[in-house]
Amino acid sequence: MATAPKEFRFGNFVGSLIQLILWILVIVTLVGLPLIFILLFYVPLPPVNGEVLTPYLFFSMMVDPTRTIPIIKFLIHTDLFRVAVFPGFTYAALIAAATIFIERKFLAKMQLRIGPLYAGKIEGILQLIADGLKLISKEIIVPSGADKPIFWTAPVAFVVTAAAVVALIPAAPGWVVADLDVGIIAIFAFLGFFPLIALLFSWASNSKYPFIGGLRALHQMIAFEIPFILSALSVVVLSGSLNLTDIANAQHPYWFVLFLPISAFVFYISSLAELERIPFDLPEAESEIVAGWLTETSGMIYGLIQLGTYVKLYALAALFVILFLGGWSGPQIFPEEIIPGYTGDKIYNAATINAIFWFTLKTLGMIMLILLPRGINPRIRIDILLHTGWYKLIVLAFINIFVALSLVYGGILGPGGLLSA
Amino acid sequence: MDNLEQKFNETIKMGLDIVKETEEDRLMTLSVGPQHPGSGHFRFTIKVDGDYIVYCDPDPGYVHRGEEKMCEYRNFIQNIPHLERPIIHDSTNITYSYSLAVEELANIQVPLRGQYIRALASELNRQVYTLYWLAIYGIFLGHSTMFMWPMGDRELFIDLLEALTGARVTHAFNIPGGVRNDIPEGFRDRCLRQVEYFEKRLTEYEDIFYNNPLFRQRTEGVGILTKDNAIKLGVTGSVLRASGIPFDVRKAEPYDIYDQIDFKIQYMKTCDSFARSTVPFLDMKESCHIIRQLLDKMPKSGEVRAKLQPNPKGPPGESYKRVESGRGALGYYIVSDGTPKPYRVKISVGSFRNMLALPFLLVGSKLADMPSIYWSLNYWPVEADR
Amino acid sequence: MSAGQSDTQSGSEQKKTDSDSTQTSVSKKTEIVVPKFEQDLVNKIVSGFGDKIVQVLHVRRGRTKIIVPPGQIVQIATFVRDTLGFDHAESVSGTDYPKDNQIEVIYHLGSYSVDDLSSQILALSTRIDRNDARLPSLINIFKSVEYHERETFEMLGVYFEGHPRNERFLLPEDWADIPPLRKEFRIKGR
Repeated sequence: MATAPKEFRFGNFVGSLIQLILWILVIVTLVGLPLIFILLFYVPLPPVNGEVLTPYLFFSMMVDPTRTIPIIKFLIHTDLFRVAVFPGFTYAALIAAATIFIERKFLAKMQLRIGPLYAGKIEGILQLIADGLKLISKEIIVPSGADKPIFWTAPVAFVVTAAAVVALIPAAPGWVVADLDVGIIAIFAFLGFFPLIALLFSWASNSKYPFIGGLRALHQMIAFEIPFILSALSVVVLSGSLNLTDIANAQHPYWFVLFLPISAFVFYISSLAELERIPFDLPEAESEIVAGWLTETSGMIYGLIQLGTYVKLYALAALFVILFLGGWSGPQIFPEEIIPGYTGDKIYNAATINAIFWFTLKTLGMIMLILLPRGINPRIRIDILLHTGWYKLIVLAFINIFVALSLVYGGILGPGGLLSA
Repeated sequence: MDNLEQKFNETIKMGLDIVKETEEDRLMTLSVGPQHPGSGHFRFTIKVDGDYIVYCDPDPGYVHRGEEKMCEYRNFIQNIPHLERPIIHDSTNITYSYSLAVEELANIQVPLRGQYIRALASELNRQVYTLYWLAIYGIFLGHSTMFMWPMGDRELFIDLLEALTGARVTHAFNIPGGVRNDIPEGFRDRCLRQVEYFEKRLTEYEDIFYNNPLFRQRTEGVGILTKDNAIKLGVTGSVLRASGIPFDVRKAEPYDIYDQIDFKIQYMKTCDSFARSTVPFLDMKESCHIIRQLLDKMPKSGEVRAKLQPNPKGPPGESYKRVESGRGALGYYIVSDGTPKPYRVKISVGSFRNMLALPFLLVGSKLADMPSIYWSLNYWPVEADR
Repeated sequence: MSAGQSDTQSGSEQKKTDSDSTQTSVSKKTEIVVPKFEQDLVNKIVSGFGDKIVQVLHVRRGRTKIIVPPGQIVQIATFVRDTLGFDHAESVSGTDYPKDNQIEVIYHLGSYSVDDLSSQILALSTRIDRNDARLPSLINIFKSVEYHERETFEMLGVYFEGHPRNERFLLPEDWADIPPLRKEFRIKGR
């Protein structure tokens, strides 16, 4: 960035363009075409206008783009797309990356400063890429005496578990990676892995400060799992099903947060504790136990754990939205057809786009709410935390379960009730 | 295993302080050492039983520079720049006391306007130091806003001090005989404006920091230092005033023009960490009143520095003078033997005296209370080491 | 010109105690007015122990200095604490006088509990032989001297009998030279 640019010469510019074209041609012929042939041999693609798709037909689509629509439609509905792009990994990773950036800027504004400013042209928007590159280039130091298999696999397991939780969250009706009938229970089963991973990793680090941090993480996460489950239980009582898509659909006229505000509150506090966010960031208390169970992480291991943490943040925020805020329901603001009068195949589905829009908006709002206490509160102490988790939150969650039960048995909500659709 | 035994024997022979832990030993030894985000340039070794601290041993000396020995090699005026370094933020106070002692030894009269400017710089420095201390307290408790806001507001005072003295920290402003230069044009209005803005900010601090239920939960009832213990341990400064003893050197033995300034000693009776963190905040509020009075009562013109010979010296004698700095009573004991260089300089700093309370308070408390107790003792590691 | 028996530092005459010090000594005046309150304090100590043991070195406003033999320092310190009301040590320091072959250890004592004494500092000093520097520790009387005495031990080589830890404090553990505040220790390069 501090070097003077070379002087511009038109001949060099033309030469570089020709080089680019040469390389594109070489790669397409030597690598691209064989790949297409192999793909078409193994992947069954739908016929277009009654003809089987061949590579030559594929190239002719450049002339008439509408012919590509059935292919795209087919690809969108495959499993691979769901896992990799939406609502799976890419969507979660993008929201996680956006969350990290929003967090830094949001906190900065609260603290009367600016936040990342220099990376990228607009207000430091490429800061994440800079951080990612930095983390990749750092040396991973494994402490002597550390338990190497667990040390290397625990961060990967962390990301994998977080991704597993994301896989169960529906982002739009019909769009979920794994549609289980026992969705909620599966989510809590996955969340129960996290204390174990934290403890294993802290033990494998073979050092005193991670040891204390791991024990604290264990205490904290286990203490808050029960209020978590109990608050979700009240939602299950009201909606009558464990499937997440059904729960989101059951909130059609009224969102559950209106009937279960206390449960929503308990769920919010418990998710702050699960995510180890301030004010509950004892396991990583910087001034007391250096960095808690993350002390010995460096380089990409730290990067993986941060990625896992923010993916988990997205997952829990999305879960809150589905359980309490009505999932994807919202007024229809997208028009039925974007090109009026078009009668052929189309991939634009107004209801789905609307659902995705409202879901993303609510999730982002919930994420901001989770980020907010970081600017306001100091860290809590372990005995106050355990007292809160085991006594106060369980009592509050029970109160709302009774409220939910009385609503269902009173015939107001639930199947066949007065207020349900 | 033999290799390990050998290594342990070697280190014990070298006189280092490593405790060997056996398997059946419940206690875990932690070194809250110099490489720790929660300790500063200071180390204390603690032994932890579960979550409770059972033993604490402070180990200062990581930044020991031999200030007292260095003073014997330079004359009275040459000593000022290096004497400021132990406490860079509050540097006018540590040289204020030195200047008072030298003035008594060499019988130098300071002009009145110089005395007022000295006191003004001292009060501004007190604000700067207390804000820095408050910011670090925020980090220790995990409250990042409590770190950012005081640091931001501190910049206002540092700008004022830069306009007054020419440097942001370590101003080298006090010299025996007065101050180095007069206040610039427009300083008075600027200073009054900043002080007014700062008082508004202090009310905001009160809302978000001191009325925050989590902050209160972490500091109330923690690290109780009763009045008798505070007297016996000889602590000083805000730690003493938080245990119910209204002692302030500016009121007990007023130096310079402090007997003409009207202010109240801020003290609290609850003796816990919350009191120790609130007393400096109240001191800051009081300091704003003092700054206003100083600016009003300052004589409109006059010399700011006494005329001195190039190597000031006085007859053989000794002198002990103390000043209220951000940490407590800062005393200088200077022995002069008639030459321009002092014979012996002993600095008695508030941090060193307050360090005695650290093992006393930490033993029996929880590990999570360690930062809130340690930093509430207003301990500045560099100053204690000199 | 007198060496400033009265404190002419500030321009005010106001005091917290009922002493009445000072005249501004204009040149050639050698009239020394000794402050009354401080003189009373010292007289109490002298009358308690006798002239031979307690020697008064100077009496100024707010500062008094007495010198006692090292064997008597514990009793005098107890007397000062119990009868007079000084309850903590502001500082403990040592000065090396190679010409007299002595080290002077000086305790500056202050008081928080007695209001009248809040501006007073009593300097209790003693001189010990340089080559065999031992002194009974005052730690059982004033707990606040613990770290100061330890620092004096390592900086000057004065062994305090009764102090639980005569060890390195500020100096590094591998310090192999003589105690640094002794006059024969020269800073390298000066």
